[in-house]
Amino acid sequence: MRILDLAYILTLGAGLGLGSAHWAVAGRPALGKVEVGPWMAWPRSGSREIDPYMRAYLSRGVHLPFGSGEGLELIAERDSEGQALDGRCRYRLSGVTPTTRGWTIGITDGDGLPFRLTLERTSFTDSQIVRPEDGQIAIVASSTPEAGNWLPLPASGRFQIRLRLYDTPISSQTGETRASNLPRITRADCR
Amino acid sequence: MSMADQDTDKPTGMPIEEPVAEPSRAAAAPRAEASPRRGWRARLRTGLARFLMATLAGLLLAGIVHIVTVLSIPALSQRDAAHAYRDLGAEGRAELAPVPGGTRGLPAPRELDPNAVTAICSYDLSAGPMRIVARIGSLPLGLTVHRQGGGVIYAITDRAAIRGVLDFLVMTEEQRDERIAADEEGETSRELRVVSDAEQGLVVARVLVRLPSDRADAEALATSVECGMAN
Repeated sequence: MRILDLAYILTLGAGLGLGSAHWAVAGRPALGKVEVGPWMAWPRSGSREIDPYMRAYLSRGVHLPFGSGEGLELIAERDSEGQALDGRCRYRLSGVTPTTRGWTIGITDGDGLPFRLTLERTSFTDSQIVRPEDGQIAIVASSTPEAGNWLPLPASGRFQIRLRLYDTPISSQTGETRASNLPRITRADCR
Repeated sequence: MSMADQDTDKPTGMPIEEPVAEPSRAAAAPRAEASPRRGWRARLRTGLARFLMATLAGLLLAGIVHIVTVLSIPALSQRDAAHAYRDLGAEGRAELAPVPGGTRGLPAPRELDPNAVTAICSYDLSAGPMRIVARIGSLPLGLTVHRQGGGVIYAITDRAAIRGVLDFLVMTEEQRDERIAADEEGETSRELRVVSDAEQGLVVARVLVRLPSDRADAEALATSVECGMAN
């Protein structure tokens, strides 16, 4: 009986401990995440004060995160209403970006890789877009061609929008940024 | 009197005990009937308590295993960037990071911005401090020091350049103490010293490519970053 008890304790401890550790670091951890509107960021991932979960997640693959003073990466998996981004829909990205030396905005899959589409346009930089009179950004993301700044989407399925800000003061105070200072993601219509 | 009492007590005492023993046996019979039920309950209760204790111990062990695993992944991982790019930058200049689908046999960095050029220079401080010198250009340049085992220990951009040059040293704590001891008395050293608590790591230069036509300039700028032994 004692051996059975011990075996049960060890199995439970090892199984649950290793399983939960694997689950916790398989993706970007919830710990240290900052959410501003639809955007998620992990500002401490590029500093000395990186938390153990992010450290473990980053060291499980070849990652070179932005340094805190170098830039900030913001990831959106949902639109501004909170609905998951879907390739069958058309999205408008509008509004402003925070003060920055330069930014890029791109469409990626869940692992951060660009999709292999027939048209090789996976991202824009701040110098590549056409701006309306008010100087704000106006980008349309859809799987069918659009006039103006168009980012092609995969025909269906989930995707991410990644906004990378280079040399921005908000990298150190991301949590205090308001959603109105970041681009809005609005779902226009769906097929 | 006392003798008589004792005498009378003894014979009366014995017969009294006998009838007492009879009902006690009779009472034991129903108790014996109830004991399997009660024993079963008691056994269930102890079994349950033991199971709960074992589960609690298992959960406690799981917590310890979880924490130890998460904390030891960075130290044990062989697939991280510091291991993958250990040989880059051995010539004293930063080398371009491999691109996805490249043929150099090295893994490409994950979640990399396709609009940026990345050059890498690995460092090993066991032989001495390393000096990083970068001349800035027209494109935004950022330099970061990534320690092996996770964490960016230093980040600087070209806006902090003095007379168009970014110049700093990466060293261990002991090497910094040595340099402070060797500094001339009363004179403040102008060199920027970055302390790395890990002996190995990477210096990463990232240049934003604003327009596709800037890519050649960006690559030239990123690979012009010098990283050599400090004297």
